[in-house]
Formats: sequence, C-alpha cells, structure tokens
Amino acid sequence: MKRRELLLAGAAAAGATLLPRVAFAEANRIDVYTSSDANITDFWANSIIPGFQSANPGLTVNWVDAGDGSGLLAIAERAMAAMQTNKDPQSDFYESFDAHLPVGGIEAGLWTDFTKANLSNYSKVNPLAIQTPFGLPYRGSQVLLAYDTTKLPVEDAPKTWDDLVAWIKANPGQFVYNRPDKGGSGGNFVRRAIHQVNGKDPSKFTTSNFTPEFGEQTLTPAWALLNELAPSLYEGGAYTSGNTQSIQLLSQSVVTMVPVWSDQILQAIDQGVLPDTTGLVQLTDLALCGDFSRATIPVNAANHEAALKLADYLLTEEVQSAILTELGGFPGVSWDYVSDELRKKFADIVPQSIPTFPGGDWEKAINDGWYRNVAPNIDRNA
Amino acid sequence: MGLLLVAAPVLLMVWLIMWPIISAIIGTFWLEGADGGRRFSLESYAFFFSDRYSLDNLYITLWTTVVTAALLLAICLPIAIYLRFAKGALPAYVQGLAIFPMFVPSIILAYAFIRTIGPNGTVDILLNAVGLPKIRSPYLTPWGPVIGLVWDHIPLTVLILLSGLGSVSTQSVDAARDVGAGRLEVFWYIILPRIGNSILVALSFAVLGIFSAFTLPYVLGPAAPEMMGPFMQRTFRDVGDPLAATTQAVIAFGFCILFGIFYVRSVAKNRGGAN
Repeated sequence: MKRRELLLAGAAAAGATLLPRVAFAEANRIDVYTSSDANITDFWANSIIPGFQSANPGLTVNWVDAGDGSGLLAIAERAMAAMQTNKDPQSDFYESFDAHLPVGGIEAGLWTDFTKANLSNYSKVNPLAIQTPFGLPYRGSQVLLAYDTTKLPVEDAPKTWDDLVAWIKANPGQFVYNRPDKGGSGGNFVRRAIHQVNGKDPSKFTTSNFTPEFGEQTLTPAWALLNELAPSLYEGGAYTSGNTQSIQLLSQSVVTMVPVWSDQILQAIDQGVLPDTTGLVQLTDLALCGDFSRATIPVNAANHEAALKLADYLLTEEVQSAILTELGGFPGVSWDYVSDELRKKFADIVPQSIPTFPGGDWEKAINDGWYRNVAPNIDRNA
Repeated sequence: MGLLLVAAPVLLMVWLIMWPIISAIIGTFWLEGADGGRRFSLESYAFFFSDRYSLDNLYITLWTTVVTAALLLAICLPIAIYLRFAKGALPAYVQGLAIFPMFVPSIILAYAFIRTIGPNGTVDILLNAVGLPKIRSPYLTPWGPVIGLVWDHIPLTVLILLSGLGSVSTQSVDAARDVGAGRLEVFWYIILPRIGNSILVALSFAVLGIFSAFTLPYVLGPAAPEMMGPFMQRTFRDVGDPLAATTQAVIAFGFCILFGIFYVRSVAKNRGGAN
C-alpha cells in the first residue's frame, strides 16, 4: 500500500507543477508591454530603463514584448476585463498603444487622463502630437523611402506618388515592400496607396467610420493600384515578411528602393548595416504615414504611481534628446525643448506633416483585403 | 498498477489535447447565433471550401508536404543506409553532420538561409566569383519553405530510418551478395521489405511536422498562398476571426489524422508481430 500512496503523491505533485500558476503583479515593478521592433527594445534596455531605475531607486521596469499590435490589444482587453471584475490587470504601462482601443475603453474609464495626472513635463508635449488626453506621445517616426544612391542618383529620386509609380514601372524588380500586417513600413506604403485613390485626404478615415461598405468603396481602387504595381516589384510581386527583411534586401543590393521607418533606417545607417550611400526621400505631394507612439496607462494598474513616474521621465530632456541621437526618432515634446544643436542636426527628419491612418477595424480590413486581393499572383478572373 | 502509472499522462493528454480538439470541433459546428443561442451549421466549412483563397492555401500546404516528404526520403534513405553499413571513423562525422540541424532553431535557420541562398547571398557571390550566373533564389517562393523544412527534418528522419535499418542483419546482406545480388537487388529485396515500417513512421512524423510548420513558411515563403500555419495564425490574430481559424485548424487536423492513423496502425502491427 505504501508504494501505491507514494505513487499517488508523486503523480499529484507532478500534476500540480503543470497547473497554470496564478500570476500577480509585483510591487514596485512596472510591467511595460510593447509591440515595437527590436530597435525600440534595445533603446529601452540600454537607455531608458537604466536611466529611470537609477533616478528612481526601488522601482524596476519589466519589459514584456507582446509580439504585434493584436498581441498588445489582447493584453489591453485583459486589463479592461480585469477592471470590470476588480482584478489586477497585470500590466502597468503600454509603450505604444492606441487609446481608442479596446472599443469602449475610454468610455469605461480604462485609460489614465494625462492632462489630469499632474505630470511635471506634460506641458512640453508637442500640441500637434496630442490626439487624445489618454495617450502620451513620447516619440515619433514616419515611413520614408530609402534607396541606393549608387544606382539611383539623389536628384532623380521620386518626390511624388506618380513619380514613384513611374520609377517602379521603369525599373522592374527594384522595389519591394513588406506584407502590411508584418511591419509598418509596408503597411504605411499600402496606406499611402489608399490615400492616393481617395483624394489624398487622410481625414476621410477615422477610428469610428469604418463600415464594410465604406471599406469596400475606399479600399477596392487601392487594391487595383497595388495590383498594377505588382509585376514591377521584386520577383514580379514578392513581399517580404517584415521591416527588417526589406532592409536586408536593400543591404544585399537586391533592390534599389524600399519603404522604411525613419528611426530604423537611421539606426541601420549609423550601425553600418547600410552604407553611407543610402539616400532617404519623403514624398512631397502627401507624405507616407507616420505617427507618434503614445504610451497609455490603465487606471487600475497595480503600480499606477510608478507608471506615472515613468511617463514623466519619458518627457525629460535626457530621454527626448536620446530619442533623436540614439533612436533616430523624433521627439514627443515641442522642438523648443530640444537643444539648438540637435534641432539643426536633425532638420532632415523633422516632419513637415505626418498623415496618420486609424487602426482597429480599418487595420483588419486593410490587412485581410491586401492578402486576399493583392498578395496572390493569380489572375482573379481565371 | 500499470494503469495508475499511466493515469497522470493520460489525464493530462485528455485535458490539454483531447478536450481542446473536441471543443474546437464542436465549436465549428454549433455556431453561436446573434441571440446567444447555439445552432447546428456547416457554414464555416462551406465558406472555407468555397473560398478560392482558403483552398489555395490548403493546396500549397499539401503540395509543400508531399514535395518535402519525397525529398526527405530521397535524401535521408541513402544517408541512413550509408551510416548503417559503412565502417571506420568517417560515418561518425557524417552522423554528427546529419543530426546537427536538430540543434539549430528554425528562426536562425531562416535568416541564415536568406544570407546563403537568398538573393545576392553567399552562393551567388561564389558563383559570381567563378563567372557563373546567379541562381534564381527560392526566397519568397514556395520552394523556400521546402528547402528549409527538408533541412530541418533531416535529423529525425535519419534517426528513425537508422533504427529501422538495425533490423537488417549484415549476414542476410552478405548472403544475398554471395548468391550474386547487385547493390540495387540487395536494396530492393533485402533492405526495403524490412524497413517499410520505419519509412512509414518517418514519413508520418515528417508530414505532421511539415503540415503544422510555422516559422519557415512565414519567413521564407511567399505572401500568398500561405501555408496553413501562418494562415491560421493570421486569421486568429490579425483578422480576429477565431471561428474561421478553428475551422482551418480542424481541417488541417483532419489531414494530419490520416497520417496519424498510418502511424498508429504501423505501431500496432509491429506490436502484434512481436507477440
């Protein structure tokens, strides 16, 4: 019998280790969730986190990668569900998130209102960057076109959408963009095409105005435009699976031009991944989309106070200058709060205008619509 | 006593594997209506099998599976036979090399692959150095995942075939040689009949792995058609349509279960033979 009891106990113990463990947020540990690329992770790990932790002894930052936008949305939905049941959301800080999501979150009071949070640096925030009091714009970047100046002289680089299309068609196989759901550089190239066929008017698209009919009406001509480009793209219509892979093809001199994130490309040039002969150009008729990354804090965060301290720290001159010099992004604060020297040095990437595109339902419609209508290299009528 | 010993793993399997499968299958037939009630419906399957895009994804998955499995067998069988019958120090190194892919994570393999046989990669540079034209790179074509998956599955396939070849006695091969059988005849009449089972097991394992592959098709394959792995993930997360994703999973499961049955039957046959 003893042997039997031992086995039972053993089996029970083994089973217990496999049960899901109930997780609780740790005190004084700010759980920061992100869906940003590796360059942002590096920047936080090397600059922001050490700086914040030494300025605030006793507080630590736990950096968690939620994968992509949908992953981060799932974490936010968990926070919303936790709020309705008075549970711990297990997340304190969202590095870059659209406060309009999850739908109904703002109405339910999920996100912290930064205008009422008594942040000492909030008044420095660039007014143009503020969309909602629930999102704290702390860094920006925009998609531009990167090209190889040894193959395409600077003076011949396309400056408008029509020039770009003409250039792509005249140079088949020399342009590639990534699948729109796998990275914002290709995603915003697709959105630029959508803007093009809709009167170049970004205000036509808002978070709340998506309906399947309106989507059909606005997106279908864009698919036609992109399909027209497909035969002139790399391999007659191949699409890389991320921002990094596009840069890899440019660095291996396989293609001449790719859409890129400004911060990623500046870092790649800085680190020598791409040569100094890499040129950057923005379309002047309507720029490619870009956006500010807006941090959000759920009001029910277990470490709410500490999360606000982190938010305030992000707006300090120390971090904002580092965003320019180390990250290649543009600051979330007004340019008045950036040193003169930096302001002159980075005049090139200071955006004149930053068109944006709403997320949520639009994003789903664009991604799936692209996969179904543009990605397949097949004759749809066959 | 024996039953008690296996109770924990069996319960675990029922809880973590069987139950999710059953609930997924039920969930795709009993759809939740707008009023919250559930009703029986095949519409989710009807959509899949009438949707050109979904079907293309299913075809490319089947195509990749068949081509990869055939290539695997063509590559691994000679390696395994060599390892079984060769003598000396060299086979140890060959075996080490054949097992090596097991220790390389597929995401690293994928990026290394882009650098090596991707466009303007190492192979192109070498070819260019001796004045030959560049290869037509398989990167972002259906052949990309095929090459990656073959490389990834070599170790397991070689090991299973090798264990099967253990049942081929050296004496029987020698005896056949003595009566004048050539290499091909030895393979066909002596070796093949004894390792048929191992080939079936190796193929079942490979097929199950390939069918559910994610990383390699995702990074190396074309944007469309997608293999079922990336397609399911995208449907679930990006499109936010769990029902369609589950339907795709059940369909993929249906194909995999065919190979599962082959495997179980071959194991059962072996057991029966041993008794």
